[in-house]
Amino acid sequence: MHYLKIFSTLVKINVEQELAYRADTVINISQLIIWTAWDLLALSIIFTNTASLGGWGAGELVALLGVFRLVNALMAALIWPNTERFNTAMRDGTLDYTLLLPAPALLLVSFTRIAIWRVVDFVIAITLIVIGVTMSAGGLTVAGVLSFALLLSSGMVIFYSLWIAMLAFTFWFIKFDNNVTILQALLEAGRYPATVYPPWLRMIVTFIVPIALATTVPVQALRGELQWWQVLMFLGVAVVVVAVSLRIWRAGLRKYSGASA
Amino acid sequence: MSGAVNVEVLSKTYRVPEREAGFSAAARSFFRRKYRDVDAVKEVSFAIGRGEIVGFLGPNGAGKTTTLKMLSGLLHPTGGRADVLGFTPWDRKPEFLRSITLVMGQRNRLSWDIPAADSFLLNQAIYRIDDAQYKRTLAELDELLELAPIIKKPVRNLSLGERMKCELAAALLHGPQVLFLDEPTIGLDITAQARIRSFLREYNRRTGATILLTSHYMADVTALCERIIMIHHGQLKYDGGITDLSRRIAPVKLIGVALRDGAEADLTRYGELSAEENENGRRMIQVPAEDVASVTARLLSELPVQDLNIEDVPIEAVIEKAFNEGEPAQAEARPRAEARQETGA
Repeated sequence: MHYLKIFSTLVKINVEQELAYRADTVINISQLIIWTAWDLLALSIIFTNTASLGGWGAGELVALLGVFRLVNALMAALIWPNTERFNTAMRDGTLDYTLLLPAPALLLVSFTRIAIWRVVDFVIAITLIVIGVTMSAGGLTVAGVLSFALLLSSGMVIFYSLWIAMLAFTFWFIKFDNNVTILQALLEAGRYPATVYPPWLRMIVTFIVPIALATTVPVQALRGELQWWQVLMFLGVAVVVVAVSLRIWRAGLRKYSGASA
Repeated sequence: MSGAVNVEVLSKTYRVPEREAGFSAAARSFFRRKYRDVDAVKEVSFAIGRGEIVGFLGPNGAGKTTTLKMLSGLLHPTGGRADVLGFTPWDRKPEFLRSITLVMGQRNRLSWDIPAADSFLLNQAIYRIDDAQYKRTLAELDELLELAPIIKKPVRNLSLGERMKCELAAALLHGPQVLFLDEPTIGLDITAQARIRSFLREYNRRTGATILLTSHYMADVTALCERIIMIHHGQLKYDGGITDLSRRIAPVKLIGVALRDGAEADLTRYGELSAEENENGRRMIQVPAEDVASVTARLLSELPVQDLNIEDVPIEAVIEKAFNEGEPAQAEARPRAEARQETGA
């Protein structure tokens, strides 16, 4: 309840701020629409030359694009703005104030800035997913759609956790401004199905830095390609990723306060 | 223990990478890093009673900020103990965090882009201040700091003095009982400094809050603190009343002498002489405190004195002298119990 109150206050403050800069919002949203059109155009060019990519049809790729956009929206709405703030606070020492507040530092570090207008991005992403799913309709099952939703949520959580781990590494390096650039580069790898990559790379993006779990895997579930035990295994990986990231974050905080020295 | 702050042999050693200047040294240190231990705080002990305002002094790099960071819970010490309101600070228990505050004059707590009022609302949620209490505290802070005209503007549009008022208000909304203030008046003009000072005095009087304050402006210290704790090179150098400090560090008085028009005399026979005449046309003679009466008598009988007065050495000069002396800490530091008694804590 306490955390919810803090979170809703943060949202309220960010909405007010968004409203204060109207012109900005309009420009940002128009840009977003142009980029989505561009992505769709690229896909349509690919499909004038081939019927499938890594065994995936056009509808499935539109759904994957939607999933990719969804993670990207998370990136743009939360991860970029808060990382920028975190890195600055780390350097100029104002992070100290955050750590002295009687609320989890993680909550404040990851949700203080919210790019509210990115809601549009989420809407576009969901629309693409719905269009993609409809295009490839026929083969859909209730189980497929359910595990898709489940894995999609866990994929977002995985991506969030990877980010937290990246931020936490900053406690050791002090200057680690590329912490999110790395994440963005990895995300780009998730734009196309993991099945287009050679097996060794597929293993890396699935289990070691599990970006594919946030993008490809949910769509595979939608296609009904996954067995139930695979769905469970991937959810298990998500739990491990969350646990490991939280440990890294706590260790980072201990390092910052000199408790681990 | 009924005191607000108890510190026992608190130490903090930083491990810092060390390398010589130059490219090859830089390249070598990339592969094999040498470290050096720096003692920022060395076995410091003191106690502060509830409601006291204590000045925490020392030159740059003396270990003041490190000590404040340990007492507020940001840093773990390498040795020793500390107790603030019954809590061990670095456990960072929520109840502890709700009863203290840390203000660093050089670092902004408030978000630059949004009005202070919005940051206050966030603090209300974080500290779980109920609406009635929040309104009451804000009204009180408004009365003391005249916040109303400034808290609706984005912080970046405020002057430095206005911003500091908002910073203080944000730091005090939750009604902390112990305030750690690190240079709260830095960079402010004289008027704004005086405002902050009188605010702190009034806040202490109304709420009985304990204040540990560092400042490079001696006016802050002399106006607010009866007691000072001085550290140098991480070691406690003095703990006691501000007036006692003069007696211990500089047991001298200044005799200002103006001679009748045209009269000349060699004043160095009477004591150490200041280089210039002061604005009243006097020369200042520094004499040991116990000799003031005899030197004054000699001056009056031997010279054509037009005017004479006796002054204490300004506290700024005393403190500067204390900083510059490299005496060991033990000579000046007294047991905690004694220090507490004398300040009437």
